[in-house]
Amino acid sequence: MTSTDVRASESGAPQPGAAARAVDLVKTYGNDDAIVRALDGITIEFERGRFTAVMGPSGSGKSTLMHCMAGLDRPTSGQSFVGDQEIGQLDDAGLTQLRRDRIGFVFQSFNLIPTLTAAENIRLPADLAGKKVDGEWFDFLVGQLGIADRLGHRPSEMSGGQQQRAACARALIGRPDLIFADEPTGNLDSNASSEMLAFLRRSVSEFGQSIVMVTHDPRGAAHADRVVFLADGKLVDELIDPTADSVLEQMKNLGG
Amino acid sequence: MWKVTVSGLLAHKLRLALTAVAIVLGVTFISGTLVLTDTLRNTFTSLFGQIYQNVDFEVRGTAAFSDSSGIGSVRKAIPESILPKVRHVPGVAIAEGTVTGYAQFVAPNGKAVTTGGAPTIGASYDTHQQISALHLSAGRAPTGPNDVAMDRGTATKYHFAVGDRVKILLLGPPQTFTISGIVRFGSADNLAGATLAAFATPTAQHLFGLDGKFDAIDVVTSPGADKTTVRRDIARVLPAGTEVVTGQTVADEQSSSINQALGFFSTALLVFACIALFVGGFTIFNTFSIIVGQRTRELALLRIVGASRRQVFRSVLIEAALVGLLASLVGLGLGVVAAIGLEALLTAFGITLPTGPLVFQGRTVVAALVVGVGVTVVSAVSPARRAVRIPPVAALGDHRSDQVESLRRRVTIGSVIGLVGMGLLALGLTKPAIELVGLGAVAVFLGIGMLAPVVARPMSSILGRPLAALFGISAKLGRENSMRSPRRTAQTSSALMVGLALVSTIAVFGASVSTSATSSVDHAISADNIIMPSTVGAFGFSASVGPTVARVPGVTSVSTIYNGRFVAARAVATITAVSAKDLSQTVILRMANGVGPEALAAGELLIDTTTANNRHLSVGSIVPVTFALTGRSTMRVGGIFKPNTPLGSYLTGESFFLQHFANPLPVAVLVRTSGAPGTQAALTRAVEAYPNLKVQTRAEFEKSQQAQINQLLGLIYVLLALAIVIALIGIVNTLMLSVFERTHEIGLLRAVGMRRRQVRAMIRSESVILSLFGAIIGVVVGTGLGVALALSLKQQGITDVVVPMSSLAVFLVLSALLGLAAATWPARRAARLDVLAAIATE
Repeated sequence: MTSTDVRASESGAPQPGAAARAVDLVKTYGNDDAIVRALDGITIEFERGRFTAVMGPSGSGKSTLMHCMAGLDRPTSGQSFVGDQEIGQLDDAGLTQLRRDRIGFVFQSFNLIPTLTAAENIRLPADLAGKKVDGEWFDFLVGQLGIADRLGHRPSEMSGGQQQRAACARALIGRPDLIFADEPTGNLDSNASSEMLAFLRRSVSEFGQSIVMVTHDPRGAAHADRVVFLADGKLVDELIDPTADSVLEQMKNLGG
Repeated sequence: MWKVTVSGLLAHKLRLALTAVAIVLGVTFISGTLVLTDTLRNTFTSLFGQIYQNVDFEVRGTAAFSDSSGIGSVRKAIPESILPKVRHVPGVAIAEGTVTGYAQFVAPNGKAVTTGGAPTIGASYDTHQQISALHLSAGRAPTGPNDVAMDRGTATKYHFAVGDRVKILLLGPPQTFTISGIVRFGSADNLAGATLAAFATPTAQHLFGLDGKFDAIDVVTSPGADKTTVRRDIARVLPAGTEVVTGQTVADEQSSSINQALGFFSTALLVFACIALFVGGFTIFNTFSIIVGQRTRELALLRIVGASRRQVFRSVLIEAALVGLLASLVGLGLGVVAAIGLEALLTAFGITLPTGPLVFQGRTVVAALVVGVGVTVVSAVSPARRAVRIPPVAALGDHRSDQVESLRRRVTIGSVIGLVGMGLLALGLTKPAIELVGLGAVAVFLGIGMLAPVVARPMSSILGRPLAALFGISAKLGRENSMRSPRRTAQTSSALMVGLALVSTIAVFGASVSTSATSSVDHAISADNIIMPSTVGAFGFSASVGPTVARVPGVTSVSTIYNGRFVAARAVATITAVSAKDLSQTVILRMANGVGPEALAAGELLIDTTTANNRHLSVGSIVPVTFALTGRSTMRVGGIFKPNTPLGSYLTGESFFLQHFANPLPVAVLVRTSGAPGTQAALTRAVEAYPNLKVQTRAEFEKSQQAQINQLLGLIYVLLALAIVIALIGIVNTLMLSVFERTHEIGLLRAVGMRRRQVRAMIRSESVILSLFGAIIGVVVGTGLGVALALSLKQQGITDVVVPMSSLAVFLVLSALLGLAAATWPARRAARLDVLAAIATE
């Protein structure tokens, strides 16, 4: 399979079915005296081959939603699915395999292993799974992300943007069903932010990747196909084909 | 995953090194011990092999019983008349009778030549160079009654030359001889540290009290003779009670009895090595716990990107195995160096050992690697399990692991383990079974280690209060730090706890033994003076000392004490003999049953109450006995006495003893004086002829007994010191890791105005609190163990249980000082942190 094939076969219109969905998801913290409902009955669907942004004020439950849908945390009640797999039914080994094979992560604080080089970090999920890395896909990704010359460097020898691009490559290397990005541009300057967002946009449009991105930034959200708004653990609104202005407007309405 | 582990290790070389040190030291000890004992074993085996290499057969008396302790089985001498018969056997080329006995040189300065444990051998000189292990290196063979050949080792050390005159201590009164020649044992200057005086055969027979007898006949066969036939033919001409064996058999027997002693020695050293590794295990457990804590984020991240629990578990264990392997290899290398060091240490404590080429066996490598890697991996299992429990979300944001482990569970498990340990200890001490004692002690330490975190917080608070009051804010922060994580505080100090517990056990036990020895002397001996060899481990002295002393004016009673081995009721034991006549003047024998002096005079057996109970004997019991010289017979139990440590368990009269042992050497002479002025001086003068002896008053004797015990204690302390060093390295390690962990916080403190000196004081206070915490628990536990140990040995003569408060207090003070020392490096490191960089570090 060549890189052009990849683009040809997986680009284009959204495929049918949801990449992930949640049904009546509830997550509470604390005991009876001081109960916090981080998620208060959310039902939502993230389509395949689409770029969805999740927005909302601090404490609205964005991150909790992501953690519960990615199998990092268990909801108090409700169900969440990746594809057709209900992840509440998976044990730890099942969740591990799910994360390894079907989900990619990009975090605000890069989260590369400090002792490994960029290349080793990118290959890590495949190495952990004992799988061979698709060499052409690897070369293509690092070429696209412009970090081909940084592969031998450790995270401490790279700029924030470079680290985040390596993290991005790590998320994409296994061609996961879905990538969860948690404020991926939160620690980047505006140049690096723009490049990162443009790349995420392209990986959806050109390779058909499904991405869910939690963000605070209206300009970042404008790169998405759809923006959903959370407040107090509930889904309150959404925008299709947003612009920075429309997102900002919506935020104001929410009082964020 | 492999790559993550290896690159993680390489990135933290300091952490690696600090963790490894504990294992390096333990493995060094183990491999050093093995190399040393293998080397000694090899030296002895090859020496005995050399000595008997030319002897085809040896004719000797059969052993009435085999005795593996000391110098081996005692054999009856054989009559001279056998020699011509053996010589007439076809195929015998040479047959020569030999005798051996006691002969100790006196150095030109008038002091006896001592060997520090090796025998002082007297022997007949075999003129057949073909058969003899002795080779003249100067002069000629001894021929006349005044001639002696001296081993080259002694000659070199004391500058003796051929033609010099030398005084020799013998079974009878000392005599002076002329050195006719200097000899070597095969290629060695002396036989493993032993001295040798060789006389012409008839002279030797006379001097050793063996007129008309030989200890053995060495036989060399003619070239071409069939050895099996010759041996059979020799056996045919031998009377009952004699046997013919190959030279190889004799060499093997001699080296095996030495090997047995070495086995004991090596076991004792290995026990201390294991103690060190056990303490090291605590250190490793603690280090890995902290490392896992610090790597929470990284491990969680690995879980997010798809590492399974098993992979995380394995990565921690692989890291442990790699550290263990590396440390073991280093330890193995250092072990060879340590073997040389151990030898020097033992020499410093008066135990002289022969030297030879270092022996490095494959088994040493295997043992070192297995133990080193094993201890590291086992210690890391629990931290690895904790690593597995880290949830993937821990990688995100500031997810604090709020998994406060239920203290109740910990208390329950810790108490159960501790109680089981105490049970095992009690069982082991009463049985007695040393394995159970060891296992019990390990369980007690583990149990207390688990319970320690419960008291860590309040105790750190109490210990830190005076520090805070004295040294202000820095000490106060140090105290807070030590209280912050009770679990870490407890884990860090548990290694020191174990070390100090062992030291305190020994201190209590040693003080009890020492005091008991003194009071047992007072309760056992009424003599004013005790005459004994001045060196520990000497085999005895001339039988003429008793009569000589008895002639001194002012001396009213003299008792000569002998020891010998015999079989009583199927068990090999030591029998002590003392003359019945002056018994009441020199020995305090408190009879529980039967009569004392009368029974001794009648040649009956006296036993102590312990033996009577254990063997179910009472006055009038008939005990089957076997003596090497006279064979099987029976003895009647004439009386039962209360335990008397210097006299031992079996006692009989002197005259009976002398009939059943051939030329025994006295081990002590007890003297009662009239107390008239000048008696002591006259006594000392009379014994001057025997420079290997010293005259002691009872008080001096008690003191020298205590000195012996203290010397042994000193050796044990030195060996335990290694465990303490490892424990301190554990503290250094923890503090270093804490400093790294708190970089940000320390930077903040510096930013708001804390001076470097204050940073150092803060770290030091924390260290002192950690050390004192471990030391106090250790001293308490150790005192308990020591008291239990002493109590359990009451029957064996430990009558007084003493807790040496001053020593224990010194241990606590020393621990605090050592804690201060351990903090030096981490404190300097913390003080040097660049404020800006520290704050920037997340």
